[in-house]
Amino acid sequence: MRKTSCLLFSALMFLSMKLMAQTPFHYLSSEPAQNKTMKSEQTATYAPVPKVVTPGKTPGAAPSDAIILFDGHNLDKWVSDKGGPAGWTVSDGVLTVKAGAGTIQTKQSFGDCQLHIEWRTPSPAHGEGQERGNSGIFLQSQYELQVLDSYQNKTYVNGQAGSIYKDSAPMVNVCRPPGDWQSFDVFYTAPVFNEDGSVKSPAYETVLQNGVLIQNHVAIKGKTLNTGIHYYAKHGPLPLALQDHGFPVSFRNIWIRSL
Amino acid sequence: MKRAAYLPLIALVTFSACQNQANNSTTQTQSKKDTNQFQVGIPPGNDTMKHEQTEFYTPVPAVVTPGKTNSEPPSDAVVLFDGKDLSNWVEANDTTKPAGWTVSNGTFTVKPGTGNIQTKQRFEDYQLHLEWREPVEDTTKHKGQDYGNSGLFLASLGKGDAGYELQILDSYHGETYSNGQAGSIYKQFPPLVNACRPPAEWQTYDVVWHAPRFNADSSLKSPASITAFQNGVLIQDHSVLKGVTLYIGHPYYLKHGPSPIKLQDHHHLVSYRNIWVRPLDK
Repeated sequence: MRKTSCLLFSALMFLSMKLMAQTPFHYLSSEPAQNKTMKSEQTATYAPVPKVVTPGKTPGAAPSDAIILFDGHNLDKWVSDKGGPAGWTVSDGVLTVKAGAGTIQTKQSFGDCQLHIEWRTPSPAHGEGQERGNSGIFLQSQYELQVLDSYQNKTYVNGQAGSIYKDSAPMVNVCRPPGDWQSFDVFYTAPVFNEDGSVKSPAYETVLQNGVLIQNHVAIKGKTLNTGIHYYAKHGPLPLALQDHGFPVSFRNIWIRSL
Repeated sequence: MKRAAYLPLIALVTFSACQNQANNSTTQTQSKKDTNQFQVGIPPGNDTMKHEQTEFYTPVPAVVTPGKTNSEPPSDAVVLFDGKDLSNWVEANDTTKPAGWTVSNGTFTVKPGTGNIQTKQRFEDYQLHLEWREPVEDTTKHKGQDYGNSGLFLASLGKGDAGYELQILDSYHGETYSNGQAGSIYKQFPPLVNACRPPAEWQTYDVVWHAPRFNADSSLKSPASITAFQNGVLIQDHSVLKGVTLYIGHPYYLKHGPSPIKLQDHHHLVSYRNIWVRPLDK
C-alpha cells in the first residue's frame, strides 16, 4: 500500500510539475507562507551568465556585439530590393536616398533586434504633409516606422514621423527641425506564427526618437499597407529595408543587434 | 487511513490548484486576446477601400522638444536632479527629513548610513533617465554584492528596501548571482547582457516602467513591467515582474498606487547625476 501510494504520489507530482512548467506564471497577491523559512540563496540564480557586451564610448555609438550596417563608408551590407547593388548616394559619411533608385535592403535577414539609426530630412523644407522629407524604415521589410519631416508639418497622425505607418501614431511629436540629425532607437520583437499561418504572438515595437519614448511595446497589427486594413502573412527572418519615397532623406550611423 | 494514503490526495489538490491558477492568469488572458485580434490573410473589403479611410487626424500627439543630446531632458521631463541640490528628495525612512546624501561638483553620492532617499513626487508609468558611477574599491576586500552596491527602486513602497529594484552594482569586475548583477531586476530577471563600464566611468540607465494596477478587492489587475537599457544596450525587454523585490523568499504583489522613486544606500559610495523622468499618462 505504502509503495503504491508513493508511486502514485510521484506520478501525480510529476504531472503537476509538468503542468506548472507549461502554464503562465501565477502572480501572488499576498506573502507566501514558505517565505518565512526560506534562505536568501534559494532565490539566487548563477546560470546562464549574461554575456559581456562593451557599450559604445558615446551615446549612439555601436556596442561590441552590434552589426554595423552603415558606418559612413559604403553600402556593402545593402542591396536593391529588386536585386543588384544598392544605388543610393554615399558622401561625407552620409547615405542619401537617390530618388528613383528604389528601396534598399540589408543582405542579412533579422528577427528580434535592437536597431539604432540616425536620419535627417532636407533643409530648407519643400512640400506639405506626406510630400515633405518622406522615407521609411521597414522592420523585416514588412512593418514601416515612418520617416518624415513632421516639424511644424501637419499630416494624418498615424502617418507622421515615428508612427508605425497607418497603425500606431507616436505618443508625442519630438521632431527636430529639418536639416538636424535625429535618432531612432528601436526594440523589435518579430511575430511568431503557428504552423497554419495564424499569429501565435504579434510583432512588438518600442521606439525612442531623440531619446524620447514614442512607441511603447506596441503590438503591430500587420504588414504596412497604404490602402486597406493591415494583416499578417506568415514569414521568418527578413532584411531591414529603407524606403525611397522620392525625397533626398539622409541616414548615418546604422547598427543592429540581433537578440 | 495510513499517512501515506494522504499523499496522492495532496498531489491531486496541488494538481487542480495549478490548473485553477493557470485559468486565472493574467498573461494567459493577455496572450489569448493578442492572438485573436490579429488579422491573417487579406481582410474582406480591402480591395474597395481608399487610402483616406485608414488616415486619422486626432488626437494630435503633443509636441515635445528633445534635449540637445539624447541624454539631456526633453521639454516635458521632470528634472529630479540637475546638479545643484536634492530638493526633490527626502529620506525614505522619514519623509519629513531632507535627503542627507552628499552633493558635489554637479553629482551626488550615497552617504553611507544615512539610508535610502526617495522623490517627493509620486509616479505611476514613466520613462526615466539616470546616470550612475561606481566607486573604485579594493577588489581583494570587496567582492560580489559588496562592491559598489546601490539600487534604483522603480516604485518605493515605504521604508527600507520596500519596492521594485533595478540593481546597481559593479558588475564590470564582480562575480555574483546573475539575478543580482547590475541591470537585474533583483532576484527576478538577470540582464540580457552585461553592458557595464568599469568603475569611475559614468553609466546610463534608460527605463520604461509600467506600474502594476490593482482591482478594488486588492487583487492584481495587471503586473508591473520594465524595458531598460544600460549604456544604450537593451538589458530588460518588457520583463513582467513577479512582485516586489525580496532578498529572501518568493515575490508577491500588494496593492499600491502612484509611488516615489527611491535610491538605495547599501553603504557604498555610488554617485548619481542627470536624473529626469517623463510621466506617461494614458
